Amino acid sequence: MIVAARLLRDRRRSLLWWAVGLVALVAFTVALYPSIKGQASFDQLMADLPNSVKVLVGYQADVPLTSPAGYLHGRLFALLAPVVILVFSIGTGAQVIGGSEEAGTLEPLLANPVSRQRVAVERYLAVVVMLTALVGVFTVALITLAAPVDALAGVSNTGLLGVCAGIFGLALLHGTLAFAVGAATGRRGPAVAGATTLAVAGYLAHGLLTLTESLRPWRFLSPWQWYLERNMLAEGAEPAAIVIPVALSAVLFAVGWAAFRRRDLR
Amino acid sequence: MSGPAISTEGLTKRFGALRAVADLGLVVEQGEVFGYLGPNGAGKTTTIRLLLDFIRPTAGAARVLEGSGADPRIRRRIGYLPAEWTIDPRYTAADLLDFYGRLRGGLDARWAQTLLDRFELDPSRPVGQLSTGNRRKVGIVQAVAHRPDLLILDEPSSGLDPLLQHQFQLLVRELAAEGAAVFLSSHVLHEVEELAQRVAILRRGRLVTVASVAELRQQARQRIDLRVAGSADVSVFADVPGVVDVTATDGVIHLIVEGPVDQVIKAAARFEVTRIITHETELDEVFLSYYQEDRP
Repeated sequence: MIVAARLLRDRRRSLLWWAVGLVALVAFTVALYPSIKGQASFDQLMADLPNSVKVLVGYQADVPLTSPAGYLHGRLFALLAPVVILVFSIGTGAQVIGGSEEAGTLEPLLANPVSRQRVAVERYLAVVVMLTALVGVFTVALITLAAPVDALAGVSNTGLLGVCAGIFGLALLHGTLAFAVGAATGRRGPAVAGATTLAVAGYLAHGLLTLTESLRPWRFLSPWQWYLERNMLAEGAEPAAIVIPVALSAVLFAVGWAAFRRRDLR
Repeated sequence: MSGPAISTEGLTKRFGALRAVADLGLVVEQGEVFGYLGPNGAGKTTTIRLLLDFIRPTAGAARVLEGSGADPRIRRRIGYLPAEWTIDPRYTAADLLDFYGRLRGGLDARWAQTLLDRFELDPSRPVGQLSTGNRRKVGIVQAVAHRPDLLILDEPSSGLDPLLQHQFQLLVRELAAEGAAVFLSSHVLHEVEELAQRVAILRRGRLVTVASVAELRQQARQRIDLRVAGSADVSVFADVPGVVDVTATDGVIHLIVEGPVDQVIKAAARFEVTRIITHETELDEVFLSYYQEDRP
């Protein structure tokens, strides 16, 4: 694991800043909760909004926005937290093979006694480790910072861990796509573009397919649907949100790995 | 172990319509310093990248140290310095030697320190803060830190001042004396003629010739300028053997000579020569005859 260890060491400072940013996001979100908690009129306001807006802000009729589960879902889990972690995951996944090959730093490494296969495996594992660390910091920060203001009242442990695992799954899937495209093309641009397109298209598709009654059965095509199927904070963990992305990631990794092994370096 | 350090057979690489290397048959023996010459774009770097399995041949095959360049056990015995060596600018020489040492299964700390001292490198400075020449030195040090059996160097002394070039040549000679094969690619003759025993010349992806340096010197063209006092009547050079072209401007005689210059110097003795200027000629000029042979 020499290659993975070196990459983690090279990235430790950047990873630290990402973690600091996420903790700040959690702290800011949780700190606002006490001011919303008692405002029943807030739920009334939301209930009057058009359906399309409700879907986009993650509103659910049976989970009041003033409850911890409703508040955290709307403010944090429905969009903001997954987007931040997706950006990290896509950027890192695209960088480790595609980006470094484009920059010219991959070839000197490969002149050493390491096979391409090993470099691909180790660098991918390093991405998974970094992503795990980041989601872990996020989860711990939420548990720690929410306690003093009762912002997790009524949320089960499995529900909280389930939704955090769901973020991990969503980010892993997009990061792995970026990794695979980078490994297959040797370029960072297509890797970032491909994974970002999937993320944006998936999110829009989730919203549109949810709103259009006749198309609702097709919602499962969007990775966001697996994650947003239900409010896991209120209703407990959804195994599909982690199982499907991990399985698909394994397939994407294998495809990228095989392509990287066979092709000419740029 | 006695087979060749490098052997290729019918090695061919196409990039779409472009034929970068065609039907290449090379043999480099162990302990030999082998010059690989050709103008820019001739296919030198493509050949090296084929040897190291960075790219795969369209046809033919290459063997390195009697194995494949894809095999980590073979690569452990290879040292490589690319023409454009890009490394994470945050790495220091110490980081790099440590990292590569681990990958290569150990670092000879004393030898590494000797190398750093010889090239006067501060191992704790990030590569990104170094001058081009110093970065090149770090590249040389990482390439030889594990005492490779085969050293592949692509335009190695570009960016090095004459003193460092000398240091570098000493190092290459040392390694070759210990039995390492050295594959030295360059587009200028003088970079390899001091070191190599044999030289291959590549043009448009094809091998034009493989010859000893001595043989090449016989045929190489040189540009010589003689600054003379008094009149410069160039007609005396017209019949001197080896003179290909002669012109005079403002008291300077410009000569292009093929082969030994002995007769030219003797002919020049009748002038009052104040300065002799020799030019580093590009390969294109030096080996004009080879290139012309190849033309349709």
